Amino acid sequence: MDYVYTILILIGLFVILASSFDLVIGHCGLISIAHPIFYAIGAYVSAMLAKEAAVPIPLAILCGGAAAFVSSVLVALPSLRVSGDYLLIASIGFQLGLIEFAKHIHSIGGAGGLTNIPPFLVNDYGRLSYVALVLAVAVLTVLFVRWLTHGPYGRMMAAMRDDELAFSMLGRNAIWLKVSVFAIGSGIAGVAGGLYAHYFRFLEPDQFGLLQSSAILTMVVVGGMRTTMGPVIGAIVLQILPQAITFFGLPPSILGPLQGLMFSGLVLFFMFARPQGLLAAPDIWAGRKAKAGEPRGLAKGGLADG
Amino acid sequence: MTSMRLSGIKIGRRAALALALVTATSGFAFAQQTLKFGLAMPLTGGQASYGNDQVKAAQWAVEEINKAGGINGKKFEMVVLDTQADPQVGIQAVNRLISVDKVPAFITAWSGVVKAVAPIANDNKIVELSIGANAPDISKLGDYVYTTFPLADVDIRAVAEYSAKDMGKKKAAVLFINNETGIGSAEVYRDTFVKAGGQVVAYEAYDQKATDFTGPLLKIRASNPEIIHLQGLVSESPQVIAQARQLGITVPITSYSGIYNPKLIEQLGAAAEGVIATSLAPGASDSPAVKAYVDRWMKEAGRPPNGLPYTQYLYDAPYLVAAIFTSLDKKGVPLTGENVRKEMLAIKTFDLPLTGKVTFADDHTVNKPVYLVEVKGGKWTSKAVVNNK
Repeated sequence: MDYVYTILILIGLFVILASSFDLVIGHCGLISIAHPIFYAIGAYVSAMLAKEAAVPIPLAILCGGAAAFVSSVLVALPSLRVSGDYLLIASIGFQLGLIEFAKHIHSIGGAGGLTNIPPFLVNDYGRLSYVALVLAVAVLTVLFVRWLTHGPYGRMMAAMRDDELAFSMLGRNAIWLKVSVFAIGSGIAGVAGGLYAHYFRFLEPDQFGLLQSSAILTMVVVGGMRTTMGPVIGAIVLQILPQAITFFGLPPSILGPLQGLMFSGLVLFFMFARPQGLLAAPDIWAGRKAKAGEPRGLAKGGLADG
Repeated sequence: MTSMRLSGIKIGRRAALALALVTATSGFAFAQQTLKFGLAMPLTGGQASYGNDQVKAAQWAVEEINKAGGINGKKFEMVVLDTQADPQVGIQAVNRLISVDKVPAFITAWSGVVKAVAPIANDNKIVELSIGANAPDISKLGDYVYTTFPLADVDIRAVAEYSAKDMGKKKAAVLFINNETGIGSAEVYRDTFVKAGGQVVAYEAYDQKATDFTGPLLKIRASNPEIIHLQGLVSESPQVIAQARQLGITVPITSYSGIYNPKLIEQLGAAAEGVIATSLAPGASDSPAVKAYVDRWMKEAGRPPNGLPYTQYLYDAPYLVAAIFTSLDKKGVPLTGENVRKEMLAIKTFDLPLTGKVTFADDHTVNKPVYLVEVKGGKWTSKAVVNNK
């Protein structure tokens, strides 16, 4: 059942993307929606290394992740030195600019897309092995993000997110923390990109645009920001819903608008009815002594508290 | 999943209702034997207005085929799925068509999707018919990927040859938009025109986002060409033509199928006179069937379809698939992707209602006559039909 395998792989990939994006936007409060461009960098670098330089594919995927890691540092460093909103502007600029740029480079396929990317595992061990690989990476990512946010590093992120000035007053380096979290999240997205490239074997610059940004953001918001399982559930729900709708046997004249309305409808519904998402974030750093009625930081806020 | 209960009570009830409805209706599907094929098109997103009209055209054709007895009395069914013209969504749609609906052949369009799903078609040995996408490398996507639509260079070659041979122009200027298709098509025009005995006296590009084209146009005027070929997009081409006419350039301007659009005349008025474009399908004045088809659009939708030639190709697609299915079914051969491919190549030439004959060449391309149209008296009129070799 290739169909089921494809859905499982896409769910796995989007779990990786949504989890790593939640690390950036939720846990660290960095407002950036350019996550797909690091996904794209990972995908293209991995594909080109494997295709042109015959680099072993696992190594190529890791190089893709490393490339995304490095380029995200380059974007974050200058923009984070100023302050929050500049990262949003700089990263969107980087995303859209790089997409336009990629469309004009013939050697990576240009606007027509990159074809004939070498496959990995599928020919030797069957498609199921790739599903297992992607799901394993997804589980590892979720566990890694959980480990990172529940340890001392997470405490630092929470402190900086909630009050950057106080955080700096304690002698901590906010810039360093922001850049490192941004880079870790983007590096993970890069690995996901490599995994995408060697299964689907075709990349096109346009597929990594703002539509994908909003899809990943929707997954995080619907699932529940700043929770371990929220992005996972968000990714699963938003991958399965559009597929489920096609099984209702609706005529295309209804199917089309319904698919189009679904994403925006879900976002609106959650913004009004349940802004914290399906799973509400626990205030993990409120401490055991926090009593009901006491201010609980910004743990229940939406996007605006970044 | 426990968390779903919190907010999902209403949704849950509706989903259950919908599910009940589906199971009730799907029961009927097994009553009669159906022969299925797939259609994956953008129903949502930026390309939806074209995708939906193309799907509608294909649906009309399926209805007509079933009215006329289906496939040897069996029901002919088309499964339509959304691709959003996005490779990743397209991959899901096509996997679903192959794994769940078990179609032996499917139709899709938009170059990105066509290329993205090609490995799936080849791996599963399912025939992919690309209809509407025109990137030249579509012919090299693998054994199971075919196109019924002429690829990009066909109409440009026709224009260049017609200009050089039939119109007798010796000196041409080429003005093109600086993007992938612009660059590629301009090269095709230049090479064809030179090969046909002409000379390219100016070869100028303009930026994708330019709004002022005076610079390249002045260079072209200085080179004194007898004809200008403009390779732009439908968005800025009218402006380029308007500015050329303002600069006193009166020589004929040719372009390609992209600008064959009633809007061009609306925007340019008298300046549009003499502009030559191409169409890859016969127009309403060339064929009574096309006229009836356009009339049906006017009657049912109150407007002509978006991208008329493309919808003509999509209207014809089910007829092509039905011809293959009918032939296989008569022989009692099972409808698998492998058999559909074999039968398609064995039949080789199909005579289709709205776009005429199509022949599958061994190099996975098709050759079609190119219809040249010219603006005359404020209307697009047929000028000539060019048959490429």
